[in-house]
Amino acid sequence: MIAEDQALLREGIVALLQEHGIEVVAQAEDGAGLLRVVAGHKPDLAIVDVRLPPTFTDEGIRAALEARRRRPDLAVLVLSQYVEPVYTGELLSTGESGVGYLLKERVSEVRAFLDAVERVAAGGTALDREVVASLVRERGRGDSDGELASLTNREREVLELIAQGRTNAAIARELVITLGAVEKHISNIFTKLDLPTGDDDHRRVLAVLAYLRAMQPG
Amino acid sequence: MGLAEIMERGLWLLEQATTEPMARERNVRSGSAVLAAQLTLSATVALAVTIIWAATGMGYFWPMWVWFGLALALALPAGIHSAWAEPRGRLRRLAVHRTLSMIFSVSVVVIWALAGGGFFWPVFPILGLGLAFVAHAAAGSPHQRDLAGRVDELTRTRRGALDVQAAELRRIERDLHDGAQARLVALSMQLGRAEERLEDQPEAAALVRRAREEASAAIAELRDLARGIAPPVLADRGLVAAVEALAARSPSPVNVSAEVAHRGPPMVETAAYFVVAESLTNAAKHAPGAPVDIAIQESDATLVVEVADEGPGGADPAGSGLTGLRQRVEALDGALSVSSPVGRGTLVRAVLPCA
Repeated sequence: MIAEDQALLREGIVALLQEHGIEVVAQAEDGAGLLRVVAGHKPDLAIVDVRLPPTFTDEGIRAALEARRRRPDLAVLVLSQYVEPVYTGELLSTGESGVGYLLKERVSEVRAFLDAVERVAAGGTALDREVVASLVRERGRGDSDGELASLTNREREVLELIAQGRTNAAIARELVITLGAVEKHISNIFTKLDLPTGDDDHRRVLAVLAYLRAMQPG
Repeated sequence: MGLAEIMERGLWLLEQATTEPMARERNVRSGSAVLAAQLTLSATVALAVTIIWAATGMGYFWPMWVWFGLALALALPAGIHSAWAEPRGRLRRLAVHRTLSMIFSVSVVVIWALAGGGFFWPVFPILGLGLAFVAHAAAGSPHQRDLAGRVDELTRTRRGALDVQAAELRRIERDLHDGAQARLVALSMQLGRAEERLEDQPEAAALVRRAREEASAAIAELRDLARGIAPPVLADRGLVAAVEALAARSPSPVNVSAEVAHRGPPMVETAAYFVVAESLTNAAKHAPGAPVDIAIQESDATLVVEVADEGPGGADPAGSGLTGLRQRVEALDGALSVSSPVGRGTLVRAVLPCA
């Protein structure tokens, strides 16, 4: 389902998803509508705009948090015009499974957007690269922050991609390196950040997200 | 009022003409030394004429007129000098007028007494002087009332203008979001879909991709523009949440303590936000790694924002960043102070009225 007040964009996203075999069961224009639809249609995934009527502030985030509270297994993909780490943090605090936060213009990168939709619907995560980059970059700059500062530039790039929820194969493609090199970087990152390593991609994503979230106070 | 205006004008001219010499005199010699010299000279002259009177046969006691002249010569400059203590302008002119009227009133009574009494004619000049003074005092006061009213009005209208400006900026930001940005997002999405369908025509697909990337760049630029007006989290969640977001993103370790019960006017919130943002940027640049304390307090319709770092100090309060903040704060009738002794950290403090 989709909660988006701007008809042009909403209809565009609906058309895009339907073209690629994703069924859109309902559309809503505000937060209250989102909660009604979630209760009635039981969608797998809700795509939600941060700013919705009537307040046009953070209505969408509030509604998404409420929907997650009522139905913890609901996957939520938030679309926003802005990178706002506060909202990302709030969203992640409802559990890392099945959440996403993307800038609106990412819908134009059709493949990547559909990947993100499918990943979040399947219980994965998708964080916009700008969100992750701002967290990693700003946290890595200070002298007091020894952990991220100890990463090489390439390792930081890999960490950003992991935090976006990309698979190792996707990271290898993006950075034009071999799968083996990606695995080596990841193992280095986890050693340097003193994180427990797991066997599957998802647990590693969660570890990174937990790490990123731990750095945000509150 | 004609007479009063002439007097006012005359005293104004006197003030203009005498301000400079008087200031110079004060600089060159101290007032008490001048007074002592005048007193000594007057006493000497008084004694001398009395001796002359005694030596010449003690007829009519004429030295009393000399004494009176000497006393008048002493009283006039002393009176004007004390009236000059009033702040320059209308209050000082009124004080001079009052002093002169009093000296002349006393003088005519003394002259009447010295001349042997009789019909109390000084009542007429004293009455005249009194009426003139009342006229002078009354003539100016409507101006003063007008001025006070005008100051109130200007304060109110400036405040109103700033609130309108803040509302207008937020409206522009909202319009950007709902209008141009939304259309660009929709446009870039359609371009993305078109690009996908052109997979078998790589050249056309590349053109569409370039168009899509241009649209994305335009969206990013609009986003930066809107963020410069006021970050969305400030409008959405208020000052404390926005400051906490700043603190979370700062590379310095930041501690935020806030006592704010309700949302302030948009303009005040924005000013306070930029005080914190600029101070945090400065702290990260000049005192990397040093702890920063942010305190936000609301009391008696005033918002006080303090950002203190434990860096090397020595910040230049006339720097462009701090000057910009000061202008922002002073436009709201607030005050910004920067204390940055070398080696003892930097404290930026803004006091903003919220009424």
